[in-house]
Amino acid sequence: MKFHWFNLMPWPYLPDDFTEKNRSVWVDVDSRLFDARKANRVYNDYLDLLEFAEDQGFDGLGINEHHQNAYGLMPSPQLMAATLARRTREASILLLGQSLALYDPPTRVAEEMAMIDCMSGARLISGFPVGSSMDDNYACGVNPATLREKYLEAHALVKRAWADPDVFAWNGKHYKLRYVNLWPRPIQTPPPIWIPGGGSVETWDFCAEHHYNYSYLSFQGYVRGAQLMQGFWQRMEALGQEFNPYQAAFAQQICVAETDAEAQRLYEKHARYFFSRCLHVYPGFADAPGYRTEATIRAGLTSQMAGQSSALNQAAALSWPEMIERGFLIAGSVDSVCEQMERLATTLKCGHLVCLLHFGDMPTELCRYSTELFARRVIPKVRHIWNDYEDHWSPRPMPREDRAVPRTVSTGAANARPAAVHAAGSRA
Amino acid sequence: MNLTTLKVANSELTVHYARAGHGAPLLFLHGMLGLVAFDAAFERLAAHFDVIAPTAPGWGPAKDDLPLMDEGPLDLTLHHCDLLDTLGLTRVNVAGAGIGAWMAAELAAIAPSRVARLVLVNPLGLWLDNVKNDDPFAVHPGMPSESLFSSPASRKQYIFGGRDKVDAHVDELLSLRASAKFLWPLPDTGIKKRLMRIKAPTLIVTSEHDRVVPAPYGPAWQSAIAHAALTVLPGAGHLPEIEQPDAFARVVGDFIRNAAVAAVA
Repeated sequence: MKFHWFNLMPWPYLPDDFTEKNRSVWVDVDSRLFDARKANRVYNDYLDLLEFAEDQGFDGLGINEHHQNAYGLMPSPQLMAATLARRTREASILLLGQSLALYDPPTRVAEEMAMIDCMSGARLISGFPVGSSMDDNYACGVNPATLREKYLEAHALVKRAWADPDVFAWNGKHYKLRYVNLWPRPIQTPPPIWIPGGGSVETWDFCAEHHYNYSYLSFQGYVRGAQLMQGFWQRMEALGQEFNPYQAAFAQQICVAETDAEAQRLYEKHARYFFSRCLHVYPGFADAPGYRTEATIRAGLTSQMAGQSSALNQAAALSWPEMIERGFLIAGSVDSVCEQMERLATTLKCGHLVCLLHFGDMPTELCRYSTELFARRVIPKVRHIWNDYEDHWSPRPMPREDRAVPRTVSTGAANARPAAVHAAGSRA
Repeated sequence: MNLTTLKVANSELTVHYARAGHGAPLLFLHGMLGLVAFDAAFERLAAHFDVIAPTAPGWGPAKDDLPLMDEGPLDLTLHHCDLLDTLGLTRVNVAGAGIGAWMAAELAAIAPSRVARLVLVNPLGLWLDNVKNDDPFAVHPGMPSESLFSSPASRKQYIFGGRDKVDAHVDELLSLRASAKFLWPLPDTGIKKRLMRIKAPTLIVTSEHDRVVPAPYGPAWQSAIAHAALTVLPGAGHLPEIEQPDAFARVVGDFIRNAAVAAVA
């Protein structure tokens, strides 16, 4: 199995009465709750954690894109990827991902991905989600009726821009470009493409057709996820795809301690912050008219009538043992976590695990503790799972000896600067 | 209300429409929810007019035609011209409700010779920065058209009305999908600069309790059209054609019968 350390980058200062006084954490969340000076530390702490995860031996460092969202402070995952490209050496940069239909021309995405691939020495995984309705339709104003058309056209354009060495004209329905000629170009041709999705059959078919990794990024955990992933694998089989666990990734909240009791004591309140405040999304923003296809709407209505809740924040009302039993969290001692991990791996059959080891308002030190226990004592026991399969969905970095080595950052650099520079800096 | 189908001339489209009554032809262009629960108002109008009520491409039985329609006014307006040609009608009275009032105004602005008299009921298509209104496309998916009705109970009565629950709910969502295609992300369709082209005597009707097109939109439409009167329906929400069929049919019918045609060259 492969393990990716992923951070949503939540705002950790949402007040205790947040859910009573605000209708949504996303789209129209009160911007007065944001404090740019505090964000200086928040961003740097989160980036430190991603760099720490590389030191701990994680295979990939995960980042994603959200807009007008207090649980996801990364409108531009490319900016995060750029700094990770410079400050890390070995891990994959799991950019999961960029919503293609938001960018006009979408060749901008192709360019930025190429820059990151070059800067990192071919460590990029390129994620192309359709994107959520909150982000795409409400925050960014893309018409839901044409979102999927635009996404598919942008995908085809990006793929061609990466592959075609000649200048070409693109006469699409949504994008018209007389001269497409990508500079720079990615090292990997193309970078591995992962498709984050929420469970629509159309997305599964798209992954099968292009042989892409399907990444199921829900926050509902592996117990609920099992049913959906079973549907995914059945569909892959029906479409004649040979089974390979690395064609799927799954995101899971995880926290590890010395004992089960310690895990509850250390992590419960941060899990509650996540499930209650971070997932407090106004339902009127979940699903713009036309965002889902008719078939998906019908399937959703049928499962709702069968009593399945689709509320994002449904874990908020559960007790700690229930959160674990229902899989919203993998939590406990090293042994408990290993046991839950094996259950996850065998039921989901996923080769890539996107580990949400930071959630909610978890402090940095605590997250390091959990991350280190997971890396040193859990991963070695479960890494062998799926050893018999070859992973075709990870980057193929340049040989280490061929890769550029960035200048080391000295923490004392500021003191060493000439006085004149100091003075100019303090005036600004 | 029985729908019949007709292949539209010079077009890939088939239109599904209801037609009944005698008298001057009246083309009715429906609101965001299509022809759902329009029967009562349709009957009342048909007592005085030859009423033609088509489902627009993207709604109801024509739901799968939505991808054939570009956003903006051109495809829809050409479709309505083609429909009139196919029916052999050169000039008709036109009434529209909600998003249908926008389509009616576009027809009257782009093809002024086709429209004799025009009634716009709670028209969408203009945007006033300083007027607060409900976003009809950001509603709980369990009751997606709730902001259009005067009460949640009213929505249940007219949307479900003895139909299969899943089918009715899917229809409701697909009607909103079609509406959103033309009005996303906010209902400024750019019609403002075309309204001066309208030659037909026009009646603007707004509803006292419309949360989507609040009262200040009435004067905004009226002042942009050369020969326009304004009336307000007391007690009504965004859908008087469904919730107040008597009052709706009366204001539409009275204006079309009595409007001074002579005022217009």
